[in-house]
Amino acid sequence: MIWFVAAFYALAASIVTAWVVPLRFRPWACGITFLAASGLVLAAGVEAIVSGGAAPVFSGHLALLEPIGFALDPLRGLFLMVTAIVFLATTPMVVRDAAHYPRHRSALFLTLVAILYAGMLAFFSAADSVSFIFFWEISTLAIWGLITFHTREARPVAAGYLTLMLGEAGTLAAMAGIFLLTSSDAGTALSTIVQAGNRLPVATVWIAFLLTFFGFGVKVGMLPVNAWLPEAHGSAPRSVSPILSGATLNLGVFALFVIDGPIAGQHPSMALLVLLVGALTALTGIVYALTDCDLKRLLAQSSIENMGIVLAALGAGFAFISLAHPVLGGMALVAGIYHMVNHSTFKTLLFLGAAGIDQATGTHDLDRLGGIMRRMPAFATAFLVGTLAIAALPPFNGFVSEWLLFESLLRVVEVASQSVRAVFALSGAMLALTAGLALTCFVMLAGSALLGRPRSEAASHAAPASLSTTIPMWALVVICFALGILTTAVIPMLGDIVQPVAGANPTEALVPALFSTPHGLPAGLAADLSGIGAEVGRGVLPLRSLVVVHSGGASTPVIFAMSPALAFAVIVLLLLGTWGVVHLLRRRRTRPAAAWGAGLPALQPQMGYTATAFSSPVRVLFNSLLRPIVREQQHSKGSFRVGVQRETHVIHLVERLFLRPVTCAVKAVGRSLAWLHQGAVTLYAAWVLAALFVALLVMKASL
Amino acid sequence: MSQLQTLAVVLAAHPGVKSSRLGDDQLVLKVLPETVPGLVELLIGEYAFEFATLFVEDLAETPVLQYSFFHPADHVLVSLRAYAVGELPTISGCVHAADWYEREIEDLFGLCFSGHPFLGDFVLHDDVWPEAVAPMRRRVSATTPSADAGRAATWQPRQQLTEPGSVVFPVGPVWGDYTEAGLYVLEGPGEQIRLAHTRLFYKYRAVEKVAEGLPLPAVLLLAERCSGNAAVAHGIALCQAAESISHTMVPERAKRLRVVLAEFERMRYHMAVLAELAGSTGLAVGKAMGQELEEFLLRLAARISGHRYLFGLVAPGGLACDLDADVLMLLDSELQSFLARLGRYRRWLEASSSFLDRIEEMGMLDTATSERYATVGPVGRASGRNQDLRCSLPYAGYKHLTPTATSESEGDGYARMRIFFQEIENSCALIGAALDGLPTDAVSAHWQSCEGAAHGWAEAPAGGFFDWLRLDADGNVLRWSAGTPGYRNWHAFHRAVEGNAFQDFPIIMASFGLSVAESDR
Amino acid sequence: MANWVAHSLADGIRSEPGPDARYLPAGATPGRPVSQRLNEQDAARVAALCPNDSLAVREDNLVVNFTHCIHCQRCRQPGGDLQWRDDAQWGQWCDSVANPLPHRYRRSVNVRYLDAGACGACMGEVRLIDAPPYNLHRYGIFITATPRDADVLLVAGPVAEAMRLPLRKTYEAMPEPKRVVAMGVCAIDGGVFGQSFASNGGVGEVVPVDLVIAGCPPPPLAIVHGLLLVAGQLQSLKDGEDAKP
Repeated sequence: MIWFVAAFYALAASIVTAWVVPLRFRPWACGITFLAASGLVLAAGVEAIVSGGAAPVFSGHLALLEPIGFALDPLRGLFLMVTAIVFLATTPMVVRDAAHYPRHRSALFLTLVAILYAGMLAFFSAADSVSFIFFWEISTLAIWGLITFHTREARPVAAGYLTLMLGEAGTLAAMAGIFLLTSSDAGTALSTIVQAGNRLPVATVWIAFLLTFFGFGVKVGMLPVNAWLPEAHGSAPRSVSPILSGATLNLGVFALFVIDGPIAGQHPSMALLVLLVGALTALTGIVYALTDCDLKRLLAQSSIENMGIVLAALGAGFAFISLAHPVLGGMALVAGIYHMVNHSTFKTLLFLGAAGIDQATGTHDLDRLGGIMRRMPAFATAFLVGTLAIAALPPFNGFVSEWLLFESLLRVVEVASQSVRAVFALSGAMLALTAGLALTCFVMLAGSALLGRPRSEAASHAAPASLSTTIPMWALVVICFALGILTTAVIPMLGDIVQPVAGANPTEALVPALFSTPHGLPAGLAADLSGIGAEVGRGVLPLRSLVVVHSGGASTPVIFAMSPALAFAVIVLLLLGTWGVVHLLRRRRTRPAAAWGAGLPALQPQMGYTATAFSSPVRVLFNSLLRPIVREQQHSKGSFRVGVQRETHVIHLVERLFLRPVTCAVKAVGRSLAWLHQGAVTLYAAWVLAALFVALLVMKASL
Repeated sequence: MSQLQTLAVVLAAHPGVKSSRLGDDQLVLKVLPETVPGLVELLIGEYAFEFATLFVEDLAETPVLQYSFFHPADHVLVSLRAYAVGELPTISGCVHAADWYEREIEDLFGLCFSGHPFLGDFVLHDDVWPEAVAPMRRRVSATTPSADAGRAATWQPRQQLTEPGSVVFPVGPVWGDYTEAGLYVLEGPGEQIRLAHTRLFYKYRAVEKVAEGLPLPAVLLLAERCSGNAAVAHGIALCQAAESISHTMVPERAKRLRVVLAEFERMRYHMAVLAELAGSTGLAVGKAMGQELEEFLLRLAARISGHRYLFGLVAPGGLACDLDADVLMLLDSELQSFLARLGRYRRWLEASSSFLDRIEEMGMLDTATSERYATVGPVGRASGRNQDLRCSLPYAGYKHLTPTATSESEGDGYARMRIFFQEIENSCALIGAALDGLPTDAVSAHWQSCEGAAHGWAEAPAGGFFDWLRLDADGNVLRWSAGTPGYRNWHAFHRAVEGNAFQDFPIIMASFGLSVAESDR
Repeated sequence: MANWVAHSLADGIRSEPGPDARYLPAGATPGRPVSQRLNEQDAARVAALCPNDSLAVREDNLVVNFTHCIHCQRCRQPGGDLQWRDDAQWGQWCDSVANPLPHRYRRSVNVRYLDAGACGACMGEVRLIDAPPYNLHRYGIFITATPRDADVLLVAGPVAEAMRLPLRKTYEAMPEPKRVVAMGVCAIDGGVFGQSFASNGGVGEVVPVDLVIAGCPPPPLAIVHGLLLVAGQLQSLKDGEDAKP
């Protein structure tokens, strides 16, 4: 607890150092304070998880307001840990880039980062609705400040306005929803609010749910309120984008989990709505990611996709809980939380990579990159691992969480209702398509940016990446790898975290002990299994195994389970052994030769496959979704065709279907109301008089 | 004939025409170079002439340009000769088919055509040859110009498309399993080919320069071997030019046998194209069966003439050796069985929907484009442009044996396939008609070389072309302009490729059935 | 939908015996002139007919250097009447030194065919080597599109100048062990194109050649013979009279 409070002091110190310390020493000074703060938060988070139940941090009264309180429990501790890891990884880059701004702007930048950090920490520990909303708002404003930090450029400013507008609309909606829920006099503590809210009439609960879902969902990047995300994360300063994608999206997830979770856990249709919205978000996110050739916007769209997966997992979990399958619900919730943790790690890694590429080459247009692997091998390898992780390839963490998600979705066969099964099937199909498209997208990303020949001057003269980028990236690589291999150690922890919400601990169902006969077996079968040594090693190797094939039901128990760590170790040994044997037996004579170019004099950069070319089949497939606007111009000289110019412009689906209609409607309403504002002052006076008259009449009638 | 006389009178009155000479079925005008575009527009627009060929003779101080035209209905030739002095205007605006001829002249003779936007890097590639090498000029010997090895590093393919993310995808010059050397630059943003650019002349062997100074029989060997699978056609064209120069009357038997050999070659050429077409779409059994039919024809050729590709048969004055009666009977009977097998093959191919799917509406060359590029041969006939030199300017035995006209209008790969099949059947019928009542006179007249110059032409399997031959008093070749249908059909090829997917490119190429060697010479 | 499987099964096996068969089908090869005894007068007359110096007179013999024959048939037509032999074993090692691929490649050879200016006749013949009558694949020899996988480089054409660099690059892109086979008289000495500014006069002027296949064009059987020699599946003929001078 002390550590948590101390972290705030460290952040305050960092703000002070940002303004006081001269520019030359500022990176080191602020870096130290930020790292110290992150370390303290990490410790606080670990302590919260280890200690188990809720531990209040601070409670008190503010004048004229209801009592406020902060508390930590394992769930909040997990969120704090994730935030701390993200900030740890990005601090070197943040302070390094801050040093490039002029004196006061650099201080402002660091202050905004510190405020964002502090706001997030306070939000995650908020236990009552007032501080909940207040620190949500602080975080939103800090995010906006960071996005529009380059106030001289048009793109960040425009992105910032859209962020702010949608963010504020979301906050207002969420506030309205929470106020609806607090209409009973249950005080301001969050937990009581939510439980009391469940006793309200169904219609009120639905309205409150929708308001809070789409309100808090703005931060998550949910369809249809994610119009701000791609441009905002894409045009934010390069050291801030990792924080935005890696940490701030979790704010929304936390809000949904705490506020909407218990509500959706009582109403199946709400949970199914969450599931569908999540699946749709994931699919549209990845389709737009594939068709975007700007590295940072692509990663931002991919964040939308990953958050969609998280939402889908949470929705599935709440659906199972509401349909009286607490263990399955726990499984899905574990998958969702696990994916959120994974996303924070590999997305931060990828955005750090994008920042490093931007630093080295000055561009983040995929069509103009290439050949980075040769010029910056260590950096590029870390970036490649990030793409492997996000494409859900073993042995990295993305594989585990997506696997768990699909496994839990498939368990819908244990639910009797056909409509629920239909929704799960549809969502599962969309998520499966998303997974395939994600693999394509990240092959495209890794291939275009890292491999092949440089396609522009900037890429061919890339300066080596600095250590402030590479070392945090490799640290995140290690974390990704650990989260992928040590699954069987992580899942029990997550299972304990979701137990209060789900009502049951899914740990035994997901990761039973490695050497054990499962429960509920017929006695004869159990005896046979222990006869062939199923119980051997139980005392020696107290490991857990990850369930890979599960036949469900009490009569047909677990058939196949494996330990990812052991499997990985065995594979590595096999590969090493094979390599060793081949290396010993083979006689190699190699000579270096030029790349085969079909006999051409030289391979030119424009002959290399671009990201646009790689993703063109996807564009063709989803043409009706993307609806590109094409402009073509032919230049002729007599009957000779001398040149052709062609441009394609894609308007985002959300902008087409949501933003534009809404703004048109608002404008229409405004225009129709404008007639009220035309005319002489005397007309306005007449309106005021008429309103006064009506008010007096009403007062008279009510007396 | 009288029409030609009236035309001669009209043109002689045209300003810029310095003199005119009327021969039988031929009109030669000496003109000023700057009046050429106007005269060309007159001939093509008003009098419905077709562009035949354009070449340069560099025999005196100043090179001479010759533009030749022919009238398909009146069977006459008109040539415009101009000294290459001053500014030479391009006629590619009016006759787009003259594009490649002008580019070739610029590369090989160094004569520039003003108004042409794409001169240079055509026959003599910029990455191999230094600038300002004009090897066909008379003072330059055949071995003098040497390649410049240092130019390779800076060569860039031509890029005409400006589209974000577009790729300049080079196919060649070493590509595929058994493909001819050539570079095809395909520009597009991915799967679709937006623009295509054909860069040939990787196989340029300078036959025209090598031929200079050689006696005609040696040049006949060159003509046969510069495009081996159209050897008979090129041999016939060269021999006819020689026979025109010396006014040799070729015996009737030789004329008819020339028809037999030319049509047989056409059958075998088209059969090879059909087999390649089936193979390009992945129909392996279809390809194997097509190749078997092609092999059958090759073996039949060897049995009747001693050579699978009919080399060494055509000679100035007639044929080099006779084909006796039992050989001709063998030919007749074998062709009957071949026709039956061909019909069976055609039925199977046209019943394979997976095969037809890949060639229907693929590689479209519509009628307007075909007319603008003046395509010839089966490629032109499939797009509604039925030009046939056997009918327009009958030569050899075609004066009395008219081939059946074939025409389709869709211009896609399937239309071309139908044309190939139809032409094989027509050729069989022509061979039968030629052998029917074959006269028993000599198979060759004595040919004496003498000084002079004349056109020769033939309808090669890929289309019609015009040669020009000039001999000196000793019978050696002073100038041989070797014509090729490739300058029309390869020229138009890129239009058929544009708008299709990358994977369709080999299929479209196979459906055109063109020979790079014949075009590059 | 045509049933190609049924049709091909009904046609049966269409492969014919290879180039070393005793009796070749009529027309499978154009044949070639062979050295023979002729009186001096006739020999001189016939030798003068040859445009590419492949006939020479030596005492009572008309000696044929087949690697220069361009198949113009002038020595065979009336006025020459030279005897020709119908065979197709036209592959010859350069400098008479047999140098096939190592033994482990015998039944698994990848060939990269390169067109260095070949005319349609050589193109047509080489395309037929995997047609059913000749069936190259039964010998374990396959055509590959990339020189990286190739063991043998089969080149046709006199090496037009624009193909000089692509030929060199293809040769250098092939890993060891590799062999170069020049097919057709153009690839051997430039044929009718000789040496000019646009023609290099044979593959040997650009890359080292191991085996030549004479003919204009060499029929598929002869090409298969050459490839079998290079793969080590056949031994070359010890036919002294047709050795290179």
